[in-house]
Amino acid sequence: MFGYVIPPQDLPEEEMNRFRRAYCGLCHTLGRRYGPRAQMILNYDFTYLAILLSDPEEGERRRGRCVVHPRHGQEYLAPCAALELAADESVILAYWQLWDGVEDHGWLRGLKYRGGSAFLESACRKAAQVRPDFDRSTRCQLEQLAVLERENCPSMDRAADTFAVLLQGAARQIENPVRRRVLEQMLYHLGRWVYLVDAAEDLKKDAASANYNPISLRYGLPDGQWTSEAKQAFAATLDQSVYQMAAAFELWDFGVWTPILRETIYSGLFRVGKAVLDGTFRRRRNKGSSLPERETQERST
Amino acid sequence: MKDPYQVLGIPESAADEEVKRAYRDLARKYHPDNYHDNPLADLAQEKMKEINAAYEEINKRRGSGGQAGSSGGTAGGWQQYGGSSSSVLQQVRISIQMGDIARAEALLNNYSDHNAEWNFLRGAVCFRRGWMDEALRYYETACQMEPGNPEYRQTLERMRRGPSYRPWGNSGGTLCANPCLSMCCLYTVCCNGGWCFFI
Repeated sequence: MFGYVIPPQDLPEEEMNRFRRAYCGLCHTLGRRYGPRAQMILNYDFTYLAILLSDPEEGERRRGRCVVHPRHGQEYLAPCAALELAADESVILAYWQLWDGVEDHGWLRGLKYRGGSAFLESACRKAAQVRPDFDRSTRCQLEQLAVLERENCPSMDRAADTFAVLLQGAARQIENPVRRRVLEQMLYHLGRWVYLVDAAEDLKKDAASANYNPISLRYGLPDGQWTSEAKQAFAATLDQSVYQMAAAFELWDFGVWTPILRETIYSGLFRVGKAVLDGTFRRRRNKGSSLPERETQERST
Repeated sequence: MKDPYQVLGIPESAADEEVKRAYRDLARKYHPDNYHDNPLADLAQEKMKEINAAYEEINKRRGSGGQAGSSGGTAGGWQQYGGSSSSVLQQVRISIQMGDIARAEALLNNYSDHNAEWNFLRGAVCFRRGWMDEALRYYETACQMEPGNPEYRQTLERMRRGPSYRPWGNSGGTLCANPCLSMCCLYTVCCNGGWCFFI
């Protein structure tokens, strides 16, 4: 389910470095709290969670070496309350997500998920002790989602709601009531958006394997092929969630993180949505940095 | 009171024209239309009040007669119409206005006449919840059942149009976004959170 929020693009180097420091900061915090194996769960989505939970000022910076940067080291954000909260919640999210994969894929195909969840188990037990409410609500929402999938729930809003509420729970510990409400609204719609984009990405695969897919049921696409009307309606409903995120985002001062968040909400999410609907998202992702410029230009002309 | 210049995000030396522009931009951003049926509408209304007060204060200090617009209007516009066809649906409207979405939903579930207004209110409940696809469908049904009703029509149009404040310009929206994604490996040996290969 994760991996759809991408790092900011087209921002000044200063902002890119700030994002990198948050990314490395979360990695260090995960390592310090849960050991090197927990660092394996690090991704951009969790980095955004950390940024959303961060104070408006950037905290203390440190420089240190790590496995990925063994020679010169890298500047990173020192562990702080926001990074710790994000790290704990990331571990819980990753663990339950994996567990969900075990249930989804049966014994044999679920092996890699089983392996993953086993190695995260002790980390998750520790995280659940620190954040019992988030652990409980995450498990409860994923259980609900499994029930809806088993029942072939035809409402994509209802299915997406489970994941949206799950992510919304990540802001429950915020004390300032205005900030909490803003974050809850942003995370709800981020969760809804992620769930729907993930379902769109899996549309063809689910059709081939006869797996549950809320989009296929909603728009009547049993063969996993988009019709232009369905695509348009679906893009409009994705946009609605981005609009809600943007409206909420404008109601709180995110301080130094504002340019990064603004770029992502006002442009990054639209781009990912477009790439997923065009069927080019995974392909490009797998290609990594080798995305040829020429191909992009050709596509856009 | 906060420094009015800070509220508008401009230096004290800003020209009158700049003050006006900053005020207009912010007023457009926090306009009630952008927060219609939004659970955070009250926060936007507060912002709007703050901006209006700041603008008036600056104008007073400068001796110019600039008037701020209306102070945000009513959040949601529910009082504007309000003529419900039944007392239960009137109760639903009041619950939505108070932010008690669970009660509004319970009342709607127990109401057997699924007329245009029922569909409209159901749409409003879905919208508040963030169930955007269903909200749109209920609004559409309400409009089909009662095409002449201005409240239903305006709400549907507002939702389809999206917010009037669009800092993203014309490339906003999933279908018209620039599809160029550079998934570069900025930080790690793997791509895009590729550590997490099993998720």
